[in-house]
Amino acid sequence: MPIFKTSFMRRFAVSTMVLGALAGYQTSAFAGAGHSGGHGGDGASEIGAPGEISDVRRTIRIAMEDNFYDKEKIIVRGGETVRFIVENKGEFVHEFNIGTAAMHADHQDEMMMMMEHGALEIDKINMDMMEMDMGNGMSMKHDDPNSVLLEPGKTAEVIWTFPKKAELEFACNVPGHYESGMVGNVRLQ
Amino acid sequence: MKIKFAGRAILGALAAIGVSFTANAATYDLSVDYVTIDTGGMQTKGIGYNGASPGPTLRLKEGEDAVIKVTNNLDEATSIHWHGLILPYQMDGVPGISFPGIEPGETFTYRIPVKQSGTYWFHSHSGFQEPDGAYGSIIIESEKREPFKFDREYVVVLKDKHPHSGARIMRNLKMMPDYYNRNQRTFGDFISDVSKNGLGTTLSERGDWGSMRMMRTDIEDVQGFVGLINGKSPEQNWTGLFKPGERVRLRFINASAMTYFDVRIPGLDMTVVQADGNNVQPVKVDEFRISVAETYDVIVQPKDDKAYGIMAESTGRSGYAFATLAPKEGMRADIPERRMESPLLTMADMGMSHGNMDGMDHGAMSDTDPGIMAGMDHSNMAGMDHSKMGTTKTDPFYAAGSGLAPEAANGGKFLSYADLKAQKPLYPERPATREIELRLTGNMERYTWSINGVKYEDAEPIRLKYGERVRFKFVNETMMSHPMHLHGMWSILDTGQGKWNPVKHTININPGTTVYSETEVDEPGQWAFHCHLSYHMAAGMFRKVIVEGGPAVAALENGNL
Repeated sequence: MPIFKTSFMRRFAVSTMVLGALAGYQTSAFAGAGHSGGHGGDGASEIGAPGEISDVRRTIRIAMEDNFYDKEKIIVRGGETVRFIVENKGEFVHEFNIGTAAMHADHQDEMMMMMEHGALEIDKINMDMMEMDMGNGMSMKHDDPNSVLLEPGKTAEVIWTFPKKAELEFACNVPGHYESGMVGNVRLQ
Repeated sequence: MKIKFAGRAILGALAAIGVSFTANAATYDLSVDYVTIDTGGMQTKGIGYNGASPGPTLRLKEGEDAVIKVTNNLDEATSIHWHGLILPYQMDGVPGISFPGIEPGETFTYRIPVKQSGTYWFHSHSGFQEPDGAYGSIIIESEKREPFKFDREYVVVLKDKHPHSGARIMRNLKMMPDYYNRNQRTFGDFISDVSKNGLGTTLSERGDWGSMRMMRTDIEDVQGFVGLINGKSPEQNWTGLFKPGERVRLRFINASAMTYFDVRIPGLDMTVVQADGNNVQPVKVDEFRISVAETYDVIVQPKDDKAYGIMAESTGRSGYAFATLAPKEGMRADIPERRMESPLLTMADMGMSHGNMDGMDHGAMSDTDPGIMAGMDHSNMAGMDHSKMGTTKTDPFYAAGSGLAPEAANGGKFLSYADLKAQKPLYPERPATREIELRLTGNMERYTWSINGVKYEDAEPIRLKYGERVRFKFVNETMMSHPMHLHGMWSILDTGQGKWNPVKHTININPGTTVYSETEVDEPGQWAFHCHLSYHMAAGMFRKVIVEGGPAVAALENGNL
C-alpha cells in the first residue's frame, strides 16, 4: 500500500504498543526497527525523548473522557522525566500524544485514514488490521513512545523526558477530537 | 471552559428579557409586538419579541422549571412554539392542537420543565407571524460538562427576510405558483439544451417536466429575499469578535420561512459538534447545508489576526446571508465570490431515474463503504460538472444524479446526514413496532401541498400508542425538499448506523428520496407534525398526531397549574 507514509506505520506501532502496555514496555527502543529517517531522532530532540523509569520523580495521572482530558494543561520542569498513567474512562477510543501542533496536525490525517480503512473504529481498534504486513520491510512490532492509543476502559503508561524548551501539546488525534478541544498545553518551566 | 465573553453577551440578553430566578425556577417575560424591521436598504413592518425582530436569546438551564410569561400586544391572536423542546403538550404552543392561542391583550404563562440541553429556537405558530419576524433563539446550558471545549460562543440565526408580508406571499403563490421564481427557463435555454443534448432529448425532457407541473428551477418557491444573520443584512454585517487562537462555538439556527442555506467560512474548518440540539461525534467539514428549522453547532478556531466571513448562500443561489468574525470591531471580511449558477433539478429529483433511493433500505448500509456510492452512473445528470465528480463522495441522502446534491465551494468536505453520529445514544436500540408511510405530495401548479395526497383540513390524525417505537417512512414524491418536523418527541434519523443514528427534531427529505426516522412514543397528548416550509405548511402538508394512552396529564388551564 504505497499511499501509506512512514508516519502511518507509526500509527500502527502505537496501537501495537497498546497490546503490550499493561506488561510495561521498554523505552529504549525509540525509533527502532524499520524506521529510516523522517521520524525518531529528529523529532526526539525537539519534543524530548523516552525516559527511564529510574529517572522518574513524578507520576501524572491523565483521565481521558468523551471527548476531553481531565486536565487543561500539564506543568513540568525542563528536562524532567515524567511517568504518565493514562486511563480511558470514555466510551470512545482516545489518544494521549505528546508533540508539537504541527505533528498533531499530521497525525490527524493519518488517523482519518486509519478510520476510513477500518483499522480504527470510534469505539475499538482492530488489531488484526493493525498487524497487517505492510511490506517494504515495515514491521508493526515497534513502539511509538510519545503516545498511547487506548480503547475504552484501558490504561497505559508513557515515560517521557521533556526537553529544556519546546512548544508542546498533549492531544487526541482521533478524527474530530482535537478540533473540538481534546488538547492541552505542556508548560515547561 | 471559560466563556467570559459569552457571559457578557448573555448578561445583556438576560437584562433585555427581564429574568428573575427562584430556587430551581426562572421566570422570563416576553412581549409580542409590532416592530419595524430595518435591513439597511428596506424597512418593513413586522412582528417581534420585546420590541425587536429577531427576539432575544432565551438562556435556560437543564433541570430548571422555566416559567415564561408571554404577553400579546398585537391586535390578532398569537402563540409561541418552543422548537425542539420536550415538554407537556399543552405548553407546545400550537393553536388548535396544544391550546387555543393567546388573544390580544392576554398573557399566557408557559411552564416548561427543562430536561435537555443545546441550541433551539422559538417562533409563532399562528398565521404567517414567523415569516413576518416572530422568532428568537434558545440556548439551554447542559448540567454536565459538554464533550467539547470552547472559549466563546455566538448564536447565528439565519432568516430569509422578504419585503412582502407572509399573507401576501401566500396569496401570490396560490394565484401564480411561480410568482417568486425569477429564474424561469427561457427560449434561449431551450436552444442551448438542443445544441448540447439534441432536439429529441430536449423535447422529451420538457414534456416530462410539463407533466410534473414543475420546472427545473423550482428549488426555491420564494425568491427576492434578503438573507439575514442575527437580524442583519450582508450590508449591515453582523460581527462576532474573537481573539486569535480561541475556539469559537457558533450555534447556527435556520429560522427561515422557505430557504435552505449552504454555510461556509472561507479559511476555517468547521467541526460540527451538535445537530438539532443533540451532540454528535465531532466531524470536520468545509461546508454544510442547513434545512429550514434545523440547528447545527460548529466549533471554529480562527488563528490569524484578520476578519473571516460567514457565507450562507441559499441552495437555489438566489440570495445569501453574510456576517463577519473579527478580532476587532469595525472590520469586515470580503464577501467571497458567489456561486451564481442556480442548480437545475434533474430527472432523478423527479424520482424517475434508475438507481435512486426509492425503497432503499438504509439499515442495510451499515457495513457498506460510503465510497461505493461514488461509483454510480452519473450519465443521466444535467447541468453538472462531471469532471469534479470523481473526487467527491456522493451523498446518499440525495437521489443518484440529483441536481441538488451539494459540493463544497473549495472542493472539500460537505457535511452529509450520513456523517451525523450520536455522541451518546439517547435511547437503547430496539426494533420499531410498526411502520407508517408518509408520502410527501403536492401539485406545484396549484400550490397545494399534502401528505399521502390529503391536505390537513381533510385528514384524519395520525394515532400513535404511548410506549411504542414507530418507524416513519417518508417518500418524497415532489420535486422540492421538505424539512419534516414532529413536535414533542424526537426523530431518530436512520442513517444505517444502528445505535449511533442521530437524534433530530427536523428531518429533511430531498426530492426523489425515501428517508426513515424512528420515534419512541414517550410523550402523551396531541402534537403537530408538518413540513416546516411556511407556505407548504399553510397549504396543508401538516398532520395532527394523537398519542393514545400513557400517564394522565393534569388538565392545565391557560398554563396555570
